Amino acid sequence: MLPLRELRRRPSRFIVATVVLSFLATLLLFLGGLLDGLYLGSTGAIRAQPGDVIVFSSGARDSFLRSRITADLRADVESADGVDAVGGVGFVLLGAKVPTKAELADVTVAGYELPPKGVPPPPKDYQGTADSSLKDQGVGLGDTILVGPAESPITIIGFVDDTSFLQQGAVWVNLPTWRAVQNANRPDSAVADDVVQTLVVKGSVVKGSVVKGSVVKGSVVKGVADGRSLSEVIDAATANATSTLTVDEAVLALPGVKQQGQTFDQIIYSTFVVVLAVVGLFFSLLTIERIGLYGVLKAIGASTPRLFAGVVMQAVIVAIIAFLIGSLLAIGAAFALPAKVPLQLIPSRFIFTFAGLLLAAVLGSAVSLRRVTRVDPASAIGSAS
Amino acid sequence: MSLMFLALTEMRRAKVRFGLLAGAVGLLVFLILFQQALLSGLINQFIGAIKNQSGQVLVFNDQARRNLDGSIILPAQQAAITKVDGVETASPLGQGTFTVTAVNDNETETDAVLFGYVIGQPGAPTSLVEGRLVEAADEAVASEKDRDAGFDLGDVVRIEPGGASITIVGVARDINYSVQPVLFVEFGTFEAAKRTRNPDAAAIFPSVIAIKVAAGRSAADVARRINEQVDGVEALTRQEAVDGSPGVSSVRTSFTVILGLFYLVVPLVTGLFFLIVTFQKASALTLLRAIGAPARSLVWSLLVQVVVVMTIGSLVAFGLYSVAIQGVSNLGVHVEVMPAVVTSLVVLALALVTSLVAVRRVLRIDPLLATTGAGVAL
Repeated sequence: MLPLRELRRRPSRFIVATVVLSFLATLLLFLGGLLDGLYLGSTGAIRAQPGDVIVFSSGARDSFLRSRITADLRADVESADGVDAVGGVGFVLLGAKVPTKAELADVTVAGYELPPKGVPPPPKDYQGTADSSLKDQGVGLGDTILVGPAESPITIIGFVDDTSFLQQGAVWVNLPTWRAVQNANRPDSAVADDVVQTLVVKGSVVKGSVVKGSVVKGSVVKGVADGRSLSEVIDAATANATSTLTVDEAVLALPGVKQQGQTFDQIIYSTFVVVLAVVGLFFSLLTIERIGLYGVLKAIGASTPRLFAGVVMQAVIVAIIAFLIGSLLAIGAAFALPAKVPLQLIPSRFIFTFAGLLLAAVLGSAVSLRRVTRVDPASAIGSAS
Repeated sequence: MSLMFLALTEMRRAKVRFGLLAGAVGLLVFLILFQQALLSGLINQFIGAIKNQSGQVLVFNDQARRNLDGSIILPAQQAAITKVDGVETASPLGQGTFTVTAVNDNETETDAVLFGYVIGQPGAPTSLVEGRLVEAADEAVASEKDRDAGFDLGDVVRIEPGGASITIVGVARDINYSVQPVLFVEFGTFEAAKRTRNPDAAAIFPSVIAIKVAAGRSAADVARRINEQVDGVEALTRQEAVDGSPGVSSVRTSFTVILGLFYLVVPLVTGLFFLIVTFQKASALTLLRAIGAPARSLVWSLLVQVVVVMTIGSLVAFGLYSVAIQGVSNLGVHVEVMPAVVTSLVVLALALVTSLVAVRRVLRIDPLLATTGAGVAL
């Protein structure tokens, strides 16, 4: 209990490490929060899709906005082995006038047939279920928003969580409404009555037996009798006029999602290395300060593992306090920053950061191990002052 | 001089301590340099085409929220803009992302953003480094960064599916948009590409109107007049269009906060480290003062250590930065020495400032304490 008593009685010794680690914890949470905000805000509408795979036209390079699936192509997909249900999807990104608000809201008008997670079956024409993020932009239940330059009216009949698309809250409407809004506001991207941008497909076992299921980026794609994945079967059925991706692959195909993740991860892991260096630095300084005392403690029977455990315990406690302070600072920053900064602090990010800080604290304090091990109890004789 | 020698000897003998500090500083400065490069690269790659085109004012549809992708200008609006006092030329500028085949890059299919402008009118690229501007249909000026991806002078790019083959006749610097290759083409080529992509297109409208302002008039004044006189549009000066582009201001704000925290942590770590070390050396410093070492020399010795640590840290940072920058070369960022030197000097200055606390502690040492043994107490 000596390490705890030292922390209680000489807190000033640990203030330095605590302050620096608190800032680093804030930084880690802030970086992670930005990454999560960018990812969740861009991908919600795709992650919510109910199917196993998403079918794009082959020339669209997996871009929702450029993909066009005609009725003929859809018929080919529907007739493919293992296909159970097919639903059309379309997105258009527009500004919207919100009643009683001077500022326009950024919305994605999303047409659908198979209801995404949390979204009710397709509503009547010109009615929509809005993403709850649009509440922050003044959208309320029963409001009629006017979308795009043509001011197409959509009445909000409900809200759903986590369905943004490319940082714009989705308004889920039926396909005819999506087409009407798209054609009125983006005549250059107009679509014919039977055209959708992509298809969401639910697949199942063919001929009663699964021979092979392939795993693509963590999600199981149902296999078919000849061992091909559902994506391969669909693309074969359309003679490669389509490019079919799992939902996870479609998420990563969104512009910037993969690159953002990689870049932020690099910065976050580098910051963890800095945490490690800082913990190592400050605890090696503390250990140097206490060398004499360690000599005395060893002389009266304290073992090296016990002394080292004390150092690790102190590092862990400092990391926990720094994490708590850092979390409060990050939460404060989230409230203080303008809404346009896509910062989202989610529980899993706090858990990840906490675990990372603890690990860095334990590894960083290990720098002192060599010094503690080398303390000679005999050195205590005559120098224990 | 001997005290400086003492300072360096101390560093040599306490390699782990000073090495850890230099390593931590190196990593922190590296993260600052890397993020600064990332910020400037991202912004240039996001909006280079807007920044480096000749329209002094860009007129968006006010529903577009300053987003080229979401903006269309209707014919009536274009006619009204032309009549505003101070507008010398108002010309359509279209923008769209297309699937293209880079014929000279092994027929590789890729994305490209087309900017369509009227030849001789505002909206042309202004940073041409090789070749010439577009003079006819199916010609393009491409972004310099994408030369190796089949967008070099003389290369051919085909609009998919099965559209026009466009020949690159010029290459311009920093004209990327949304981190994609860009082709500046004449407006008719842009219209044709739109129809190739979507045969159902009802009409092709320009995304924005690019304006050349009349002699003696300011762009800001003309933009204000357009906003006052034309319904449903938002006119912005070129710089306002750059700063207001979706993502740019939020990217700037986010990175400013992150960089601010990093700039805070570096001097904090350094200053507090030297304060602790000074406390630990209190008895030795008291003894040195007692045998005649002037306080100024001790302070000087401390500052030398700060400078050496920060210099080593900055060199480590520059090495890491040089390697890491290769990983984001797709953003068009290069290793630049000057920004690294400036950042290192700023960080050094901040570290020296925070080390003043340790300096103050050194100056307060009383040599008399050495005679009582009290100098050993902290």
